[in-house]
Amino acid sequence: MDRRTFVKAGCIGSASLLMQGLDPAMRADLTPLVVPPIELRGLPDYEASPLGMPGLYPGRVIELRDPNAIVRNRVSQPIVRHMLEHAMKELTGEKSSQAAWAKFVEPHDIVGIKINPSGAPACCSSPEILREIIGSVQSVGVPARNILVYDRYSFEMDIGSYQVLLPPGVRIVGIQEAFAGDAGYEPQVYCDVNFFGEWETRSYMASIVAHDVTKIINVPTMKDHSASGVTGALKNLAYGTFNNVARTHRAPYSFTNPLIGMMCTVEPLRSKAVLHIMDGMRQVWHGGPLTQVQDFIDQPGILLVATDPVALDTIELGAIETKRRERGAPSLWRHDPNSITEDNNDFYHDASKNLFFRQPGHVAAAGKLGLGVADLKQIDHRILLNS
Amino acid sequence: MTTETAKSKAPGDWPTLLKDNSRTGAQGQRPARSPERAVWQFRAGSSVRSAPILDGGLLYVTSLRGVLHAIDVVTGVSKWKFQAPGQIHSTPSLSDNRILFGCDDGKVYALDRHAGSKLWEAATGAEVWASPVVCGGVVFFGSADAKVYAVDAANGRERWVHELGGRIYSTIYATERRLYVGCGDGKLYCLDASSGTILWSTPTGNSIDSSPAVVGDLVLIGSEDFWFYAMNTGTGEVRWKYETGLGISSSPAVAGDLTFIGSKDGFLYALETQTGHLRWKTAVGEVVTAPPVIGDGIVCVQAGGTFALDSATGKVVWRAALAGTVQSVPVLAGDTIYLTSLSGEVYALR
Repeated sequence: MDRRTFVKAGCIGSASLLMQGLDPAMRADLTPLVVPPIELRGLPDYEASPLGMPGLYPGRVIELRDPNAIVRNRVSQPIVRHMLEHAMKELTGEKSSQAAWAKFVEPHDIVGIKINPSGAPACCSSPEILREIIGSVQSVGVPARNILVYDRYSFEMDIGSYQVLLPPGVRIVGIQEAFAGDAGYEPQVYCDVNFFGEWETRSYMASIVAHDVTKIINVPTMKDHSASGVTGALKNLAYGTFNNVARTHRAPYSFTNPLIGMMCTVEPLRSKAVLHIMDGMRQVWHGGPLTQVQDFIDQPGILLVATDPVALDTIELGAIETKRRERGAPSLWRHDPNSITEDNNDFYHDASKNLFFRQPGHVAAAGKLGLGVADLKQIDHRILLNS
Repeated sequence: MTTETAKSKAPGDWPTLLKDNSRTGAQGQRPARSPERAVWQFRAGSSVRSAPILDGGLLYVTSLRGVLHAIDVVTGVSKWKFQAPGQIHSTPSLSDNRILFGCDDGKVYALDRHAGSKLWEAATGAEVWASPVVCGGVVFFGSADAKVYAVDAANGRERWVHELGGRIYSTIYATERRLYVGCGDGKLYCLDASSGTILWSTPTGNSIDSSPAVVGDLVLIGSEDFWFYAMNTGTGEVRWKYETGLGISSSPAVAGDLTFIGSKDGFLYALETQTGHLRWKTAVGEVVTAPPVIGDGIVCVQAGGTFALDSATGKVVWRAALAGTVQSVPVLAGDTIYLTSLSGEVYALR
């Protein structure tokens, strides 16, 4: 089936005045921008999987907490092993960790583990959690050579030293070496939209997602994001799978809502992303996604597991919002022109400043696209203490 | 020390990672003032993730798209280039008429350094990011397949292979009888150079990406566990260790009584080599992953830009907003500095 579809902004609730022809960067008002038509093109004839988002357990989020899971910025391998086992059994209702994992991966699968190294080294997917995920996938019978740990930029993975930190045999893949270039991307699968008059209007899906892997385990971190509000399961998948995505935000405006959710609907990404394991060992409540400023990074020692990325990100959004309120920082939802700065240094050191008007509504928008449950009242959020 | 790649024939030569296998950097070189102009600029065509080396008027630079460039340092023009089948993250090494480097296709290649033609290749089971080191006619290197290889420098034939407990990205420090190498399993290993037999191993708290240096009876290395270690070369006993703010993938450079090391916490540290006492630390960027090099009274490091610090005080002497890097090292040669960048630019600055 050809999944070519056109989606109008009004369909997902971005009601606004038509203001075409103006450079948004020149405007100081708060009028939301009209989202231009977005063309999504998936892999032709791809058959959707029942494991695809929102997956086997829509609306269910398992949260494990253990303050000893991270001490003085070091993650405990034995504790996260126990946390992951506990969470997987709770998510699936299975009695053993291996049985829980067997619901998502089979021995013949090529498993992609999508990490988030973009804040490395201060806040990125913890190698200790990745080791446990790799071991769990292997326990089902998947050989190490059929496990790929991947992200967009190889240099960010280098900074995180993932190559040396992960077990031998596992492949570690940076889709592209630097910021430019289409190598490593599938030209038939894309999102086409012109937000700000950019020269290249298409964002292509990574070839390893389109063709190489058969399942994706998504390992986002818990972070504020200057443009999208938070970067969680949805954004880690969407903006780590498609190229040419920085064009969606031009200060102070951002089209991360609706593009993040829309990208996640494109096949085969939607079908292959079967499990989301959010690394909340560290929590960035301001300055994300790239900050290295430790003042804004807490270490709560949390692990969240879900098949529903919308429910997971809804919980994350609440956690980051709560943390910001506790620390006296403005709400993620607040769009105050006085908070906008063009100075990165201001943004990185002052929690009241931001580079963009954040768009945390991208999570609920993804829910309206059928990717999961965004209504807190309908989310089965189970908080467990590691024991 | 009789490591063959340590032999620099001319004062400006820089035949291996950190200039020589003593990891001394550029002692005697004098880049004490900020470079004022670019003599030339060369585009490698893709990202550079390794350090350049210099010998006989040629600067050798590897790039991620698998090309080894030999660049004339006078003109900045390519004299020859070699296209490897895979990406290259390995810093090359020179030995006699050979230039050696590892490749992501799992092989180490030896080329004729003057012509760029292939002399031999040696295969491993996974990518080779470490720099090959030559000692006693043998090339030593580790691979991501968790094995250490010893091959004949003349023809690449295998002498021995020994499997360790994790991926190996650390460049071996070789002496006539012993090899020292860090490993992904978190251990620093000491191997017998003639057989690969493990003489001792000492665990740290996380994987080791850093490459060791040896000073007297101390072997020095950083770990992803945030600590920098000094161990006894004979026994592996930890003599002292120093805690930084984040993991260490940078490799140490040693001069006089000081050891310099960068950390991912963004600081460059100067530690007293015998005691581990902090002499100074200076913030040089958000993250430091590349090794520092030592000039005459200064220490240089690439971290976002390029920094030169007074080696006695840690005060920034000059900085250049050039050459952001992951693992590159400036080559200090007389009045000229050669830099490579993440974006694939190669600069000669004076």
